[in-house]
Amino acid sequence: MSALLEVKDLRLQFGGVKAVDGLSFSVEAGEILAVIGPNGAGKTSAFNCISAFYLPTSGSVVFDGKDIVREAPGIFRTLRLVDLLQSFGFYRVLPSRVTKWGMARTFQNLRLFRELSVLDNVKTARHANLREGFWATLLHTPGYRRAEAECAEQARGWLDFVGFTGDENLYVTQLPYGEQRRVEIARALATGPKLLLLDEPAAGLNFNEKQGLMQLIRRIRDLGVAVVLIEHDMGLIMELAERIVVLNYGKEIAVGTPEQIKHDPVVIEAYLGVEDEALDDTKLQTGTVNLSSLDPARPGRTRKGGRS
Amino acid sequence: MSRSAFRDRDALGAPSPLFDRPATPAGILSSNTGFLRALGAISVVLLIVLPFLDASRYTMSIATSALIYIMLCMGLNVVVGYAGLLDLGYIAFFAVGAYTSGIFTTVLGWPMWAALPATVLACIIAGIIIGAPTLRLRSDYLAIVTLGFGEIIRITANNLDITGGPSGIHGIPTWHFGDWSFADGFTLFGLEFPQRVVFYYFVAAVVVLVGVIGAGRLARGRLGRAWKAVRDDEDAAEAMGINTYIAKIMAYIIGAVWAGLAGQLMATHLSAISPNSFMFLYSALILMAVVLGGMGSTPGVIIGALFVSLAPELLRDFAEWRFLIFGVLLVVVMLFRPSGLWPATAVLPWLKKRRPVPPATAGFVAVPPSTANEDLETVEGEESR
Repeated sequence: MSALLEVKDLRLQFGGVKAVDGLSFSVEAGEILAVIGPNGAGKTSAFNCISAFYLPTSGSVVFDGKDIVREAPGIFRTLRLVDLLQSFGFYRVLPSRVTKWGMARTFQNLRLFRELSVLDNVKTARHANLREGFWATLLHTPGYRRAEAECAEQARGWLDFVGFTGDENLYVTQLPYGEQRRVEIARALATGPKLLLLDEPAAGLNFNEKQGLMQLIRRIRDLGVAVVLIEHDMGLIMELAERIVVLNYGKEIAVGTPEQIKHDPVVIEAYLGVEDEALDDTKLQTGTVNLSSLDPARPGRTRKGGRS
Repeated sequence: MSRSAFRDRDALGAPSPLFDRPATPAGILSSNTGFLRALGAISVVLLIVLPFLDASRYTMSIATSALIYIMLCMGLNVVVGYAGLLDLGYIAFFAVGAYTSGIFTTVLGWPMWAALPATVLACIIAGIIIGAPTLRLRSDYLAIVTLGFGEIIRITANNLDITGGPSGIHGIPTWHFGDWSFADGFTLFGLEFPQRVVFYYFVAAVVVLVGVIGAGRLARGRLGRAWKAVRDDEDAAEAMGINTYIAKIMAYIIGAVWAGLAGQLMATHLSAISPNSFMFLYSALILMAVVLGGMGSTPGVIIGALFVSLAPELLRDFAEWRFLIFGVLLVVVMLFRPSGLWPATAVLPWLKKRRPVPPATAGFVAVPPSTANEDLETVEGEESR
């Protein structure tokens, strides 16, 4: 069976800056994959290419059998018109289309709809799955009422799924930060995804909230949704991820299970610089270099990065 | 929970709600919607009663133009308030509506009701023409382009023969159905409805009612949520599966149609139109009414429209000073109510206290037990120890 998401030789260039430089990886259905890397390694740029917010300079992203870079009606593809149009900057697949195919994402900085209530935020994500005609909306037909009721029920279901117990009629800005994160994940889930991209979901969360987030991501995986997450919290990643892709300077420098990554000298070098006396030799040999101590969000905290 | 729980469906469905939620209060004073409905009902009654209290030509004329302002503001509210697209040339759509109905009734001799679909169609086309090329622009750039579009329409009307040039179109006929026309009037239950003005007031009232309720309903449905999402965060809206181009062009079309209907109302009300009625000043005035009342809020926008249309009339006693006072009033209002007189996010003052305090971040404890997997139980176990 082919992979759910197949990224091949993805390149993204801004002028002379190579943000993503030949990235390849794949995601199987129902797995948790983490993308890590030092700041500026091109993680978010890669995410934006995958979710069609950026048009990559070259390379291909195939999601669920559809080419996210140049999916088009057959006639356009056979005549190679898409490439021609794209070289003039005319045709691109819209992110909304990719979302309809079953890829949902969250953003690095919270990007909820600030003047909508919690419930409306999640309802908004049902857009593509909701059938409401123009006249039905104006006349409030029974069909419209049914569709709205079902939409609200779905939204509440997802709010419950992520463990949101507060008042759904509050504006999202009235919620504490951790709850806003929760709502954002509920909103992404409400699109009915096969693949969920989480961009630093644990940023700014406290220890308890991070534990909750891990449970939540596992439960999302248990629904059959593949989860790809960018994260800086090594403790969380090592415990949660089934596979890890490590990026540096826009290239993947290592792919493997948390155990393999932890012991990979290339990864350690990327994070800690070239090996020298400053690095505790015994720690390196026993393989318990604690990458989580590098997490700027939690200085000094040394939670064990996995059960080794 | 089994892995295949939702596999049988094409799109991933939500698990059914797990928590009991308190029923939404529905009383007139205990909920925002209830209060707004009551307020709306009172307004409708006032609207119907007004001509019976004072049916003088002056009052009716002011009331009709106030209604036309409300219609315009509701349309602009869709574009600016809901979809967040700053439109500085909104009066252009008003002109398109007025001129279309004027040309169809005078030059082609159609009855007014037959010109209605033509007006709507012309406005849809105008909405697409202005909307399509400006869709990729944001904020300031969009404002400049729409400003230009507004001027183009006015100058075109000023220079074409069919629009009557600078003197415009006059002698626009009233509504007539077969032999009977509004000018004839009629008697009902001993009450006479003689003046054409009264009729225009009622026609305008019905159109505005439909316009206000329609715009409000659209805003609460799928399309309205898409508009608001685009306004709050366009990229996030796109990521939620909303085609932001379509959402924005729909906002333009709806706004254009609302303005076009207002234009037709005005053309019949005044029976004469000229390019001077569609100057940039009016675009600014309508935008001001929307911002003043509260963007995206139906009651706010109505209040704003009434303020902008009635204040100059009520201040007539002050002669030349009235625009100065008008300006000072506006500044004062914006100082004390920066998000409008009645903002869209307003909570009724007596309901504020009842708002439940959001729960302290619940952590993973909030995960409902029915969906908890083994990991959760172990972690919870560790916690409690």
